[in-house]
Amino acid sequence: MATKVLAVDDEEDYRVILKDVLEGAGYDVRLASNGEDGLSILKGYRPDIILADWMMPRMDGQTFVEAVRRNEAQKSVPVIMLTVRQTTDDELDALHFGVDDYIVKPFSPEDLLARIRAVLRRAKP
Amino acid sequence: MSIRLKLTLLIGMLFAGVLGGVGASLVRMERAYLMEEELQELRILESTLRRAARDALVARDEILLLSYVKFLQQQFPALAYCRIAWVDGQRTRSHSLGMRASSAQVEERSLRERDPADSARYVQLEAGIDRGVFGTAVDESIRRLTRDIVRLFGIGLILAILFSDLLARRLCRRLSALSSAALEIGKGKLGLRLEPGAADEIGALTRGFNEMSARLEELDALKRDFVSAVTHELRSPLGAIDSFLGLIDAKLRSGPAGLATGIEYLARVKTNVGRLSGFINDLLDVAKIERGKLECAPQPMNLQDLARDVLSFFEAKGREQGVALVSRLDPGLGQVQADPERMRQVLVNLVSNALKFTPKGGSVWIEAEQYRENGRRFLEVSVCDNGRGIEPEEQQKLFKRFQQGKNIAGRVTGTHGTGLGLFIVKSIVEAHGGQVGVRSVPGKGARFLFNLPMTETR
Repeated sequence: MATKVLAVDDEEDYRVILKDVLEGAGYDVRLASNGEDGLSILKGYRPDIILADWMMPRMDGQTFVEAVRRNEAQKSVPVIMLTVRQTTDDELDALHFGVDDYIVKPFSPEDLLARIRAVLRRAKP
Repeated sequence: MSIRLKLTLLIGMLFAGVLGGVGASLVRMERAYLMEEELQELRILESTLRRAARDALVARDEILLLSYVKFLQQQFPALAYCRIAWVDGQRTRSHSLGMRASSAQVEERSLRERDPADSARYVQLEAGIDRGVFGTAVDESIRRLTRDIVRLFGIGLILAILFSDLLARRLCRRLSALSSAALEIGKGKLGLRLEPGAADEIGALTRGFNEMSARLEELDALKRDFVSAVTHELRSPLGAIDSFLGLIDAKLRSGPAGLATGIEYLARVKTNVGRLSGFINDLLDVAKIERGKLECAPQPMNLQDLARDVLSFFEAKGREQGVALVSRLDPGLGQVQADPERMRQVLVNLVSNALKFTPKGGSVWIEAEQYRENGRRFLEVSVCDNGRGIEPEEQQKLFKRFQQGKNIAGRVTGTHGTGLGLFIVKSIVEAHGGQVGVRSVPGKGARFLFNLPMTETR
């Protein structure tokens, strides 16, 4: 069974890119355009990994990740943050509020796929 | 010289001056009083001598007068000598009591007293008054007084200096707190606040300082927000372009099957390039505005054509968002005097803002109204929406550089922008001699309006 990925990004371009890259690598991809959409998809769907942008309208990445971490059913799902925020402080903040890895945009498809694999490997019981 | 030293010296000098003046006039007054007292004493001595002489004449007792004058000489040291001539008809008896001193200070007074019953009988007195005796007493008093005053002066001066030093220290402590806080801010430690303390000038200075500090902190936060917005606005499209180019490359290599997707991605690259160049143009415009070099070439132009053009540019986006775009401009509207490219920029900015804040089912429209002022015709153009509106306290901030309404990131549709758009709009409109404004009821929508001079029809 294909590995399931939920990608949350407010910019359509990035949703298209992520879908292309991830499906090209054989993942099963679901897309959401902000944190709220992401949470409503998670009600009936348990992905193996979540990719989330930080700055999004309606519900930003931080609120989204914190909500995921509070949810009993989803809290062990690994989350990678994909963002243009590039300072070390930003990355530390993100690691503190519950992400497992941090990728600064723009990213190369190889880097993204390698990090997804690494995070999934660590998450395996 | 430090303020503390200056203040101490000043208060010391002031105190010395005042005390010196008061002391000197006190001494002068005391001397005058003593002189007056001396004259009084002389008058008493004189009248006592006269009375004694008359009593002796009436009693026909020469000895009484002599012993009384002797007694007076003991009581009044200033009475240096007294010569008495007792005249009884043709007989004259002379007596001399005391030494006839040769001192220049001795002043002789001559008195004649007659028997009231017999004018042939009288006493002639020559009294030598030694003014030096009085002078010595006065000098002694004045010396004592001066000594007391100098002693008091010294103690007072020391107290004044101690007190003023204390005062100066208190003042200086608050001033140096201010100066070290200013240094800290200079080093980049923003957000410092000081306790204003007393409501005096230093307190006012401290409050001013606190205000400045708060403003600096605000500016710094604004700069950080701007840098982060710029970073996002530059990196986001650049990243997308980079990724799409990689994907297009892969599609093209995978053969004809990937061609359609490749072409679709190329369109996305183009959109992102447009977004980047739009943003860079905005930054360049802001730089021009700051140097006062925003060039506008006003010419007669039709606003309704431009409005239609701009709205059709956003048509696809509006359809995708479920927002209707309408021009309510009268086709017969006269021409305005404006730079067509700059007007396009104004309308594009205002319409794209309106779209961002208008949810599905809403609409965005442009309308205009002519009016006359001071004999000239103007056109008031409004870009309106029935979206979420703007809180009153946010409204005036909107046109400032880099400033956006609060929580903008959480509520807009599409990219959040950089806070430059409305600043550019305001600057363009003002360069045309017009003004911008905003009217909004939160939850009901917003109306952004500006006015332009109309072309005079001859």
